[in-house]
Amino acid sequence: MSVQDLILGLHRYWAGQGCYLAQTYDVEVGAGTMTPDTFFRVLDKRNWRVGYVQPSRRPDDGRYGENPNRVQKHFQYQVIMKPSPAGIQDIYVQSLRSLGIALEDHDLRFDEDNWESPTIGAWGVGWQVLLDGLEITQFTYFQQCGGIDLSPVPVEITYGLERLEMFLEQKDDIYDLDWSADVSYRDLRLREEKEFSAYNFTAASVTMLRQAFNACHKEAGRLVAKDLLLPAYDMCLKCSHNFNLLDSRGAISVTERIKMISLIRALVNEIARRYTGGKEGV
Amino acid sequence: MEFLLELRAEELPASHIRSAREQLEAGFRKELADVRIDVRSLKTLATPRRLVVAGDFAEGQEDREELVTGPPLAVAKGPDGALTAAGKGFARSHGIDEGLLEAVRTPRGEYLGFKRKAKGTSTADILAAAVPRVLGALTFPKMMRWGESPFRFSRPIHGLLCVFGGAPVATSFEGLKATDETVGHRIASPGPIKAGELATYQAGLEKAAVIIDPAARKQMILAQIAAALAPLKAKAYPDPELLDDLSLNVEHPLVILGAFPEAYLSLPLEVLSTAMREGQHLFSVVRDKKQLPHFLGVADAVGDAKGLIRRGNERVLKARLEDARFFWDRDRRVPLGERAAGLKDVLFQEKLGSYEDKTQRLKKIVGYLCDKLGAAEIKSDAVEAAGLCKVDLLTEMVKEFSGLQGRMGGLYAREEGLATVVQEAIYEHYQPGSLEDASPATKAGAILSLADKMDSIVGAIGAGLQVSGSSDPFGLRRNAHGVCKVALDRKLRFSFPLLLDRVLAIYGDRLTLGRAETKAACLDFFAGRLRFILEKKGYRYDLINAALGPGVDQIVDVLARVEALDGLKSSPQFEPFILMAKRINNILKDLPPAKVNPDVFVEKEERDLYSTLSIIGSNALPMIARGDFARAQGIMFKLQPVLNTFFDKVLVMAEDKRTRQNRLGLLQSIAKMLLSIADYSQIVVEGEKSAKPKTAR
Repeated sequence: MSVQDLILGLHRYWAGQGCYLAQTYDVEVGAGTMTPDTFFRVLDKRNWRVGYVQPSRRPDDGRYGENPNRVQKHFQYQVIMKPSPAGIQDIYVQSLRSLGIALEDHDLRFDEDNWESPTIGAWGVGWQVLLDGLEITQFTYFQQCGGIDLSPVPVEITYGLERLEMFLEQKDDIYDLDWSADVSYRDLRLREEKEFSAYNFTAASVTMLRQAFNACHKEAGRLVAKDLLLPAYDMCLKCSHNFNLLDSRGAISVTERIKMISLIRALVNEIARRYTGGKEGV
Repeated sequence: MEFLLELRAEELPASHIRSAREQLEAGFRKELADVRIDVRSLKTLATPRRLVVAGDFAEGQEDREELVTGPPLAVAKGPDGALTAAGKGFARSHGIDEGLLEAVRTPRGEYLGFKRKAKGTSTADILAAAVPRVLGALTFPKMMRWGESPFRFSRPIHGLLCVFGGAPVATSFEGLKATDETVGHRIASPGPIKAGELATYQAGLEKAAVIIDPAARKQMILAQIAAALAPLKAKAYPDPELLDDLSLNVEHPLVILGAFPEAYLSLPLEVLSTAMREGQHLFSVVRDKKQLPHFLGVADAVGDAKGLIRRGNERVLKARLEDARFFWDRDRRVPLGERAAGLKDVLFQEKLGSYEDKTQRLKKIVGYLCDKLGAAEIKSDAVEAAGLCKVDLLTEMVKEFSGLQGRMGGLYAREEGLATVVQEAIYEHYQPGSLEDASPATKAGAILSLADKMDSIVGAIGAGLQVSGSSDPFGLRRNAHGVCKVALDRKLRFSFPLLLDRVLAIYGDRLTLGRAETKAACLDFFAGRLRFILEKKGYRYDLINAALGPGVDQIVDVLARVEALDGLKSSPQFEPFILMAKRINNILKDLPPAKVNPDVFVEKEERDLYSTLSIIGSNALPMIARGDFARAQGIMFKLQPVLNTFFDKVLVMAEDKRTRQNRLGLLQSIAKMLLSIADYSQIVVEGEKSAKPKTAR
């Protein structure tokens, strides 16, 4: 089974669970949680089911294509179901069986792991799912997002696609994975990893990134005031990515780090507050 | 009659299971005791997906005799002893025969009344009401909501089995109706199981790959480990905490013995075992204290016939070890001294500055402690270690495995060939991590550990970060326990308040609170921690209060004081002496200080007391100064006969003001000397009302 088959399999499975299949969001994010299909849709009272592939960019994880497990961009398969269905663990376990994994031969574990993202004021309770010791999924009951208590409670299931594929193909090197029958992960991604590692660690202009951070931050504030919340949120995502790049460039000092994260969080919380009609989080 | 309850949930964290078992046992015991149901046995069991209570209770409350009282006897009966209208009315209103009425004596006087039998309530009815109460009262360190309900619990709950005497109890909890059914292992045997009693429940689950008793699972793990390692003649590196967690993390333990390439054995043991333990929860395998290229994992499965679980874990571990080797090789390219420049970019605490700031403070505190502890020979090494001890926070290895902080710095220092004292001090300086953990083995390690913890505590308290209830974000309690433990274990004699002064001076004007305020808060905080430590050691609370009475100067003295009191508490001289000390305190209560002048003495007995006091003082003071409170206390007992005679013969509150002041002054010097050993007024002796114990959090 190739990465492509895996994605198709998950699409088919979650569409069968009533999920709308969203397309990948076109702004850089650190995690699938940050895209509007999750961030905004978990805030309100309406039911919501969605599944999508989202590239996750973590500039600091770049290894110039030399590490068999770590990359500065990987792919997540993100599922949100709101409210969380009573049998969601079984539904999830069934998704693994649908990929052809004979769980009777393996050790599947829900290992305590609570998730939080200070940047978007979000946290939840749940597990990392381990399959024979390999972390394949983050499974979280969202409790708060944008500083707002969520009700109904959404469940977020985030598969690490490369991890899962390495398990399915029984391979030790991410670059040996088959993306499709003819295209390998190496063909698709190795050059990108090398060049972006160089960019993230040495080549990116700190001056430009700072200006971009400040410009996006200012723009977000202006847009929030006009109640243009979705564009304002995009600006916050750009701030967050610029921040991550500055961080991997080693350009952020101790006090600055906290200040920058709290700048973004304040805006995101304000966006969430306005989006839900002024309801305050706890 | 047998009671069995099982609450099924999604995978509960091990710490939550432990706490829930305690709460369940206490909750049911209390509920049943409150309504006088006899509990013959009660125990809890658990898996990550089930909380279980099993017990043997009486079928119902005992029938009781109940007294019903009516009107006062004077009203209910006439002078002739016959019932009045009021007395007859009382019998009629309760529908009983007048012959059953009798006189009842109460504290308020005599009344007309009668006895009747009250039927006890059945335990099944009591449980129906108690079960949702006990379950609903469970609390967890972190709770969550799910779906559309506002209800909060550790993790979502899915089923309730609750039977008493073989029949389901008519109860429910959060929409789950109690049944006599459960389900088996999630993967191996998920079907339904009927169970009306513990034996069938346990057997049914066992068939469905669930071992319900954590102790039994632990034994299975140990037996399987022994069997797996027998051919290798090796042992699992003991890790009781991991074993405990793992036995709570699986429903059916299966020990997996795996291997990794021998090349990784070049990594330090600390790194290997951490890479195995963190994230993957694996045990290291050792033979004759040497690490073997094997590991042990505990899967939640029935078998691994195809070896897929083993191979999967091997693959994951290999990737982690590969990462670790990469970090180990890369980190060693930059000497610690060179890397130290980066400390300015790592935040220690927002108000307290970076780790560079902290390092500068540590060097000064370590220098001070070396001077005070007569450790001149290691001073320069200890200060060097202080300068380097936080540098490993900048290494890739510690960024990946934070549990290796300190130890990693020590290992890198060794690789660089730094002085042994320096390596060891860095390696040990986070120790002890808890009251159960060992203190540093080297003097420099102990000094650096003290300095590090004192810097954190004084800084955090001075920055206004308060410890309250369960919230202690800065780990102040753990740090304070560490300080006390190091001082006590290594018998380090230094003045604690002077150390506080020094640390406060080093912080300068960085702190939010004033120096005096911070110092007072620190002293108070430490007194509380010492009280906690001494209570844990099992000392009587009043002896602890007495030992803390003189204040905390030398930490070691607080323990020595309480040991002395504890050792003498059953001596026949103890109690009269305490009463005497209290008598002196009572006389002196609220009086201003007075001076003693030997020339003013009138009576022989006061002169005798004065000279005895001088002799005792000159003998006891050096003992007190070196912390030998038991002997000092022994000498103090000699005051007793002289004081007895004094009180018999001499009137302290003499008419003549000068004489009176002089006598009070004499008693004040005795009180002062006694207080240098303990505050005896805190000690509770037989016949006194017991004071309420002060309990430390």
